[in-house]
Formats: sequence, structure tokens, C-alpha cells
Amino acid sequence: MSNEHTVKSYEEELRYLIDSVIKMGSLTESQLVDSMDAVIKVDKDSIDKIIKSDDEINKFRSKIDTQIMTLLVKRAPMAIDLRETISSLKISQDLERIGDLSKSNAKKVKPLPLDLPEELLGNLKRLGDLVIKQLNDVLDSYVNKNYDKAKEVWEKDEQVDDLTYIAMESVIDFLSKDKKNLDFSTHLIFATKNLERAGDHITNIAESICYLIKGEYLKGSRPKGKVIQQ
Amino acid sequence: MNNVKIKSKNLNVYYGEKQALFNVNLDLNEKEVTALIGPSGCGKSTFIRCINRMNDVIDICKVSGNIEIDGVEINDKNLDVVSLRERVGMVFQKPNPFPKSIYDNISYGPKIHGKGETKSELDEIVENSLKKAALWEEVKDRLDEPGTGLSGGQQQRLCIARAISVNPEVILMDEPCSALDPIATAKIEELIDELKKTYTIVIVTHSMAQAVRVSQKTGFFHLGKLIEVGKTEKIFKNPDNKMTQDYITGRFG
Repeated sequence: MSNEHTVKSYEEELRYLIDSVIKMGSLTESQLVDSMDAVIKVDKDSIDKIIKSDDEINKFRSKIDTQIMTLLVKRAPMAIDLRETISSLKISQDLERIGDLSKSNAKKVKPLPLDLPEELLGNLKRLGDLVIKQLNDVLDSYVNKNYDKAKEVWEKDEQVDDLTYIAMESVIDFLSKDKKNLDFSTHLIFATKNLERAGDHITNIAESICYLIKGEYLKGSRPKGKVIQQ
Repeated sequence: MNNVKIKSKNLNVYYGEKQALFNVNLDLNEKEVTALIGPSGCGKSTFIRCINRMNDVIDICKVSGNIEIDGVEINDKNLDVVSLRERVGMVFQKPNPFPKSIYDNISYGPKIHGKGETKSELDEIVENSLKKAALWEEVKDRLDEPGTGLSGGQQQRLCIARAISVNPEVILMDEPCSALDPIATAKIEELIDELKKTYTIVIVTHSMAQAVRVSQKTGFFHLGKLIEVGKTEKIFKNPDNKMTQDYITGRFG
């Protein structure tokens, strides 16, 4: 933002809202990293901690909702302030959904065997790493109000789709080798799909940031990779 | 987008030595509401007073440049100002009914403009004007009571009825709701929405929310200059000019 508001408390309320979104984003990122780590290491001990951290994220979402309602009622924000307020609402919704997906993935660790093939986990890890990077980049673009970076994240979701496709293929391949793998392969398919959906929420956040900065929605549909087209 | 009804070209206004408007170029569309916003003293009221030549009554006021209504220059010295004001009505910040009956408040204008020669014609004009101003139902049984006895909101609608009684083409409103409570304001805004189907309306307002609610086009003035004009939605969501953004978001120092 440029000049400060004449009413200082308005300035503070907006700053507080943005800070809340940044903190929620950082918490969501940590949770995603932890849940990914738990899946790859088949670390069943960390499941509870990850589930608990989702409560924290949900609390942030409620807090942000309240802050937004207060801002709308008290200040009737206009122009950049209106876009800032509305974007915060949308971004916090997407962050909450990413949190839910991380929690869901953590829960999937429980039935997994400890001796999963390295290639299978490797493909899943590559996808997870990319989604984590995407989230990190999009949050970075929010903090620095960097339009180009947000747009880059939006465009890069194509790669998430491609890696999802590869990870899915390897799970299906693993499953086809032995029907006994059906149970935990199903969990792995859901975990892979959850990561892809987290990627979609990240692109939503990127769109919100682009709208926040320029006041215009990104034109056209984002590039899509293999999984979506099938 | 509707046709341009009023066109100002390089409009400059001076009050003595002080220049109040600088080269204002602004098109106002027919049967649309245009809101003019800006800090006090920015020239928005001066601008609308040029449209019906109200500035003529101020001795030290000089106007240069052009204002055309339907392509006809209104600053022409030979133009009949009375007939201009018949075409361009005005409603002011503070409701100012004449100290006369409700009926006489409305019938006064048509009478002096030679409209409504018989009592039944005048009755019809009074009824229609009050109906258009959404006041008829509230006053139809007390038309002989003084207009000043009405509530503030009713008085303002009476003034609107008075303005439309002479069948104008344009209605200028200078902060018409600033002295009214939220309910009376809502009634006037509802009325503006209805009136825009028939009239070209220009409203000066300090309420951003009101400008958003009632207008299709908004112009932002600052220190006598028209800084930005555009579709209301665009101005309040994503203005092009930083000064406009600073003003509407309350960042003006």
C-alpha cells in the first residue's frame, strides 16, 4: 500500500488482517511439509501433531473471517482496500482447504506398510516437493505483492498436473503387480490426488493475488497438464 | 452507453482572482446518474452550478470554455437563462421549500413557466410531480398545509417534486441527502434510481457508498481539476489514478 490512511486504526486493522493471512499461510506451509514428510517416511508418530495443527489453521480462518466482517462493517473499504479485504477472504479459504488436504494425507499414513518401494515414494515426493515450493512461492508473492511471481505459480500448476500423473501411474503399476497392495495403494492414490488438489488451491491463491494487485482477473484458462486432460 | 447529454469543454471558472475550475472536460450521459466526488472546495458544486448558470448570480464569478446541452452552448449571452433552468432543475443540500403550501410549492414553477393554465391542469401536474417524487401518498390529503411542516426527507422529496414539475431534462443534486437520516436517504436514492429513467442526473456527494449505489459514472475532482472520470464500478474497485485511490480509500493527507 502507498500512503497511510488518515484514520490510523483503519491502517492497523488492514495490516493486522494481512499479517493474519501471512501467519495462516506459514502455518499451512509447515503443516503441508510435515504431512508430506510423514507420508514419505511413513512416520506414524507425527500424525496426531499434524491433525492438531489443522485446528490452529481453522482457528485462523475464523479469526480472519471476523476481521473481514469488522472491516466491511466499520470501514466499507474501497478500491485497493476492498480488493485486499476480499482477497484475504478468498486466500484464507484456500489455505484452510490446503490444511484439510494435508490432514487427510497425514491420516493416510496409518495403514501404509513401512517397506514401500523407493520409486513409488520418489514420485510422490517429487510431487509433494513441487506443491510445497508452489505454496512457498505464492505466499512470497503475497507478502511482496509480486504480480509476476504469482502469475508464474499459476502457470506452473501444469507441472503439478504432470507429476500427479506420473505418481498415479507408479501407484497403479504397483497395484497391478499384486492385488494385495490394493488397500494401501488406494490410500496412496487419494494422497496423490490430495496433493494435486492442494496445487489447485494454490493457483486459486495466485489468481486472488493477481486480482489484488492489478484489479483484473487473469485472462484465459491456466495451462493444464496430463492428469486433468484424461 | 447512453448518448452524451451535457458536454463541458475546457471549462474554467474564476471567483475574482481565484480560479475554481481548470480546463474541465466532462461528458455526462443522458438518462444516467453521474456522481461527482472530491474534497470540499474541489470544484464539484461549482461545476454543476455551471450547468444551469447558477454562477451568473455571483458577481465576481467568470466562466470560460464551453458547456453544451444537446450540442447547444449554454454560456451564450443571448440564451434565456429562465428557460435553461426550466430544462435543468436543481436540488440543494438543505431542503428549501417555499414558505407556501405543498400544492403551491409544486404549482409555482409551472405557473411562471406558463405551464398548466387551468386549475385542473395544475392539479394534474402537482399530482404527477408528487407521485414521481414518491411523496403523493404521504401528502395527498394535506396539500394545503405548509411545505415547511414536512419532515426533512419529505421536504427534500418536495423539492425534487418541485424541480420535476416543470418537466426538466436534467436534475442537478448538490449533496441532496447530507441533511437526511438513513431512511430518508434510502427513499431519495430509490427515487433517483426511478428518475434516471426519465432524466439526466448529476449528483454531488461526499458519501462514497452513495456514489457507488446511485451512479453509473463517477468523476473525481481535486483542487479544481477533474482528476479521473469513468464507470462507477471501475472507479471504486480499481481506479487508474493514484490520487483517486488515495481519496476514496481515505488516504488523503
